[in-house]
Amino acid sequence: MTIMKNITDGNAVGSLLKSGLSLNDHRNLILQRTKETGFYDGRKNLELKESDPIAYERIFSKLRAGLVSSREVAKKIAASPIVEQEGELCFTLYNVAGDCIATSTGIIIHVGTMGAAIKYMIQNNWEANPGINPGDMFTNNDCQIGNVHPCDIATIVPIFHDDTLVGWVGGVTHVIDVGAVGPGSMSNGQIQRFGDGVQITCRKTGVNDTPLRDWLHESQRNVRTPKYWILDEKTRIAGCHMIRDLVEETIREEGVEAYEQFAMEVVEDGRRGLTSRIKSMTIPGTYKTVAFVDVPYSHEDVAVPSPFAKVDTIMHAPCEITVKPDATWRLDFEGCSRWGWHTYNANPVAFTSGIWVMMTQTLVPTERINDGARYATEFRLPKGTWTNPDDRRTAHADAWHFLVSSWSSLWRGISRSYFGRGYLEEVNAGNSNPCNWLQGGGINQEGEIHAVNSFETAACGTGACAVKDGLNHAAAIWNPEGDMGDIEIWELAEPLLYMGRTIKTNSGGYGKYRGGLGFETLRMVWGSADWTMFFMGNGYMNSDWGLMGGYPSATGYRFEAHETGLLDRIRDGMSLPQGKDLNPDMPEFEKHISPSAKVKRDKQCITTEAIFENGDLYLNYLRGGPGFGDPLDRDPKAVEEDLNQNFLLPSYAEKVYGVSAMRDEDGHWEVDLKETEIRRKVIRQARVAAGVPVRDWMEQERVKILDHDASVQVKQMFASSFALSPKFLAEFKSFWDLPDHWQLLEESLGIPMFGAKHHMDISELPDVHPVIMTEQ
Amino acid sequence: MNQLSNPVEVMGIDAGGTMTDTFFVRADGEFVVGKAQSNINESQAVLESSTDALAHWGRSVEDVFPEMVTCVFSGTAMLNRVVGRKGLRTGLIVSKGFEDFHRMGRAIQSYLGYAFEDRIHLNTHRYDQPLVEIKDTRGVTERIDSQGNVVIPVRLHEAREAARELIEQGCKAIVISLLSSYLNGKHERDVRDVCLEVAREKGVDIPVFASVDYYPVRKESHRTNTTVLEAYAAEPSRATLGTLSDSLKDCGASFDLRVMASHGGTISWKAKELARSLVSGPIGGVIGAKFLGERLGYENIACSDIGGTSFDMALITKNNFAMHQDGDMARLVLSLPLVSMDTIGAGAGSFVRIDPYTNSIKLGPDSAGYRVGTCWPDGGVDTVSVTDCHIILGYLNPDNFLGGILNLDVERARQSIKTQIADPLGLSVEDAASGVIELLDLSLRQHLRAMITGKGYSPRDFVCFSYGGGGPVHAYGYTKGLGFKETIVPAWAAGFSAFGCATADFEYRYDKSVDIGITHESGEAEVEAAVGTLQAAWNELREKVLEEFRINGFTDDEVTLTPGYRMQYLGQLNDLEIDSPLAALSSADDWNELVQAFDDTYARVYASAARSPELGFGITGAILRGSVETKKPNIPEEPDAGPTPAPEASLGSRPFYYEKKWVEAKLYKMELLKPGNEIKGPAVIESDATTFVVPPGFETFLDVNRLFHLIER
Repeated sequence: MTIMKNITDGNAVGSLLKSGLSLNDHRNLILQRTKETGFYDGRKNLELKESDPIAYERIFSKLRAGLVSSREVAKKIAASPIVEQEGELCFTLYNVAGDCIATSTGIIIHVGTMGAAIKYMIQNNWEANPGINPGDMFTNNDCQIGNVHPCDIATIVPIFHDDTLVGWVGGVTHVIDVGAVGPGSMSNGQIQRFGDGVQITCRKTGVNDTPLRDWLHESQRNVRTPKYWILDEKTRIAGCHMIRDLVEETIREEGVEAYEQFAMEVVEDGRRGLTSRIKSMTIPGTYKTVAFVDVPYSHEDVAVPSPFAKVDTIMHAPCEITVKPDATWRLDFEGCSRWGWHTYNANPVAFTSGIWVMMTQTLVPTERINDGARYATEFRLPKGTWTNPDDRRTAHADAWHFLVSSWSSLWRGISRSYFGRGYLEEVNAGNSNPCNWLQGGGINQEGEIHAVNSFETAACGTGACAVKDGLNHAAAIWNPEGDMGDIEIWELAEPLLYMGRTIKTNSGGYGKYRGGLGFETLRMVWGSADWTMFFMGNGYMNSDWGLMGGYPSATGYRFEAHETGLLDRIRDGMSLPQGKDLNPDMPEFEKHISPSAKVKRDKQCITTEAIFENGDLYLNYLRGGPGFGDPLDRDPKAVEEDLNQNFLLPSYAEKVYGVSAMRDEDGHWEVDLKETEIRRKVIRQARVAAGVPVRDWMEQERVKILDHDASVQVKQMFASSFALSPKFLAEFKSFWDLPDHWQLLEESLGIPMFGAKHHMDISELPDVHPVIMTEQ
Repeated sequence: MNQLSNPVEVMGIDAGGTMTDTFFVRADGEFVVGKAQSNINESQAVLESSTDALAHWGRSVEDVFPEMVTCVFSGTAMLNRVVGRKGLRTGLIVSKGFEDFHRMGRAIQSYLGYAFEDRIHLNTHRYDQPLVEIKDTRGVTERIDSQGNVVIPVRLHEAREAARELIEQGCKAIVISLLSSYLNGKHERDVRDVCLEVAREKGVDIPVFASVDYYPVRKESHRTNTTVLEAYAAEPSRATLGTLSDSLKDCGASFDLRVMASHGGTISWKAKELARSLVSGPIGGVIGAKFLGERLGYENIACSDIGGTSFDMALITKNNFAMHQDGDMARLVLSLPLVSMDTIGAGAGSFVRIDPYTNSIKLGPDSAGYRVGTCWPDGGVDTVSVTDCHIILGYLNPDNFLGGILNLDVERARQSIKTQIADPLGLSVEDAASGVIELLDLSLRQHLRAMITGKGYSPRDFVCFSYGGGGPVHAYGYTKGLGFKETIVPAWAAGFSAFGCATADFEYRYDKSVDIGITHESGEAEVEAAVGTLQAAWNELREKVLEEFRINGFTDDEVTLTPGYRMQYLGQLNDLEIDSPLAALSSADDWNELVQAFDDTYARVYASAARSPELGFGITGAILRGSVETKKPNIPEEPDAGPTPAPEASLGSRPFYYEKKWVEAKLYKMELLKPGNEIKGPAVIESDATTFVVPPGFETFLDVNRLFHLIER
């Protein structure tokens, strides 16, 4: 069938591998051997590593160094500050089956997302059509395959040796705009996949190392910011090709057999690496945690295309972590709430892969992380929940809103284990919910169509440790190597003049060790022609909680102001809003803008596009981290220092920390230790007086439950969890000792239920075979 | 030659934290090295060290200083002042609303300098104390936008108040850094003048630094840190250097003391931008390699310097080293142009451990440092180091380590390697130790190669210079198979950095950010304007450069000026530094030449496919370097004594383990080898300060300039 081959460049089945197996059979056999033995590919012995540890290390070290340096070189090609300043790119090397061998630095969630794309191509017989040949490039960002959100674009390049496939390399960048309904890479407002931005499904976009022109033309006109798009793609391609060269060279030096053996053993080695960490850092047993975050969509400032999305809901993420005696573990998300008509849905790969972004910051901070860690972890992500939607219409643009919230609780859970083992330095009270996401677009100061997504959020406050405070304005739960970037760089990219960048007073959760403080930047729209912006973050609820008596971080809020009269005030030399919104309870900015300005200052932290004119204001508040331990145990001198650094509002020193402090005429605070001791005693006594036995408190709560006495949002959240999980319902009823007939149904709440009962999964499309890697 | 016809001409000073080294070169290229313990009184240490050095020639300081023509200083005092936060109390004036940005730093500063595993390990991150405290920071209402337009005119009454408060509360210097001042310096200069006025009124004499007068480049955190360093750290150093200069003069010196600066030239201690001398140590070797290359005809050189704790690499292409625009030092982001060097935290003394989680060898990131390893019981180290591996395999001489001043216990090292490394891996002690060395060398080799290929070159086009105390030990290992034209080990490898400092040009370099963008749609007038903007920036920098030389008594016509620029495809965030193909620009036609030079470089660095001329071209920075001729050391030149080493150069032999077997290596005394001598591996060539290893399969010869050439057979 020569003609067929010419048309599709497809491969005869089995022609890609020396074994004569199809890629799918090859992968299935690996999975089967893994399942049967408990070792990846049945590799009970690491023959290469054990017989020649030096050669093994030589290959690892060479590949890993090459991945890192390729990323460093390639990222300099990019124009997007997201890629170049924030480092939102990652290169990963895979074996033939699409399992990750090693990865560069960067956002390593993509270890799994690109692996899922490769597995999808394998499982759906890409080798027959469109064919997999040397010099090909494939592009993927499809969330139904495993991408976290559409703005992460992956380029995948197969690697051949003597016409035989020996692996794959993938490169991913977080692009600035992906052509969704609203501008920005993680926009909201769209509620279905069909408005979530362009979605590319493992499409062959290049042959002979050259991108195809139809792809270039089509993709560039589908996004708002083609200049960034073009350079991002060049960045990915250049990096992939550098890594492909490296693999070819390694094979020349070490031989193809040694390379292929390494490419399998290293995954098993990675599996063992995780279990040995679990063994040394944790205590076997079951840890239960839970997380919530708000989706306030009934508000007038949230414009969505469909009436059924105009509801306030709450994300519910209970999680049971089981550390097993053999030091493998299981993460079970039974009881999660349903997916929704918003952009915060996740798919299982976003979970199973994304979790390593967090775990490498704490449990496994090593360059040796690879897909082996996944093989040492059992995930259960029940179908129909937001962690595993059963409908192909779901939107995912800001899956992070839910993911970070649920990971914060995992970090708390695992920190309890560290605490129990005595690894106090490793404890982290859960880290912050990194937001706000300042996004928007229009025509910028250069007169071009533009979109922005400020990554200042990469430097939020971190969670407190059990021996020290969290770090101020330092990192994000998805990137320990956080950075806020220079103002003078962001001002090039955004038509937004900074009017301040300051540490956010009071934003870190109180505690014996307080959470790291966030920061805030006040922006005045400047030089734009047409401009919109919106807010994205948590506002009504905290998704980080604090640990062992520590408080959560301060909640979010939004501040925006229109018709400010600022340009006149500047001209007239009048006072101006600058720097800090010190105490949101006693607003200061409003005193320095026109009295007739239209100000929005509230807890509505998710909005959709609003028009901003030059001179309008937008406050970007980047959150603090949660605290650890009882604030009454905080060293009064540390509170004094917080006051002197303007990290804490004086009234909270007294209210929360029980610290009595005086300010001298130079403005310096000094604590009165004796007074403080008395104050703290009084607070402790008041606590005892206000306390009730848990049994009594539970009884009061039980009555409320029996009466369905809760806000409709809370009821909807539980009702959706109950509907999906009889097990969760049973546990709930047993915990609260509820009668058998007790029930809570969404139907009774008088809110739209569109999508609650009728779905169509992606697997129902013809000829589509989704890759399933978790229990569901 | 007598003393009159062979005077001592060049002096290099390397004032480290513990030792102050001096390096004197005679007209015939012969040199001596002196050592003295460092002292708070730097002048005293320098004089003691000089006395020690010159004693080798039987001469005295008073005798030699009057005949010398040049002296270059490099030291760590300024860096230590920064690291220890012991600088001058400095006040900072910023745009109002941004009082926190300096203390916030950039989050990147919380993990700068960390090894990879700590960079991702969040709970290890920490911030250093800010250079300027918040109580010494004031804001002044003003704003300039990203195109240099005034949005909020500066309110100078606030500046007046700020200056008054800062002076009254005890600040000894004031730094002004306002947003976007690099595009429009008017506000900063107005505030500067107000501060000077207030100081005058109050009768205090304090220095005032406006960032635009020093480092007018984009990125406020870099620019502010760097300008603060001028006040905080460089001013105190200027005082020290002034004292040193005076005391040298008291001994009869008539030369002007120069200081090694981060851009690879030397500058006067009177220079305005003295913070440039914050980083100087490792650069010396690069300058020395460039100098040797120019004299001996090597135009492409890969420089490699391995010490006890780190491996520093740099590239010289066509006799030029690359520059890095926003370097960092002491965990601070800076806007100093730095000689581009890649450093990895693995050195000849790195610790070796088995990672308990993966049962694999882990090198560093920490190292035994001066405590050597388990082979030196008095060092108090229980963890195996790379040095231990070298000692037990016969690479290093346990009886002549650092000239024999330490008593090493080979058996103790063997035992430590056995229990800590070999047994857990199931290897023999020898195979484990040689595996460690192989992995370290591989890692160095990978980095060296990545640096070369990452810039679009191939090792085939380069000679590799290997120096530093550990360089000659590892040279064969990290160059093996890379395909360098040659690997060269100077016989004075251990003192190569000090030598290099003495060879540096007297050179000032000024940078300025500019914003030029030209696309296909741009008309002739726009191109003309762009060319005009760049030329205007060069003119401005030219004045600054010439002014620096005037301070040191040079006339303008003595200064050689070299213009350069930083270019990018429009919209990119990175750019490349290009030496201008044209000395001056006059018409729109010149633009094409600028573009061509950039396009060629880009294709080499990032591969042709990454070129994006369709986006247009931007120039982000103007650069001007100015230099004057200085006296450089001569390179030693000795007659060829034939291939066979003299009998007295031979020190016998010892067992040497290489590629899984013991062989007998011949031993030589480095100082007694003569030009022309050829040595086949296995051989070890020893001197007090370094050891040159020539394993089986390699050979070397010493040339007339006392450079060893290592050849892989």
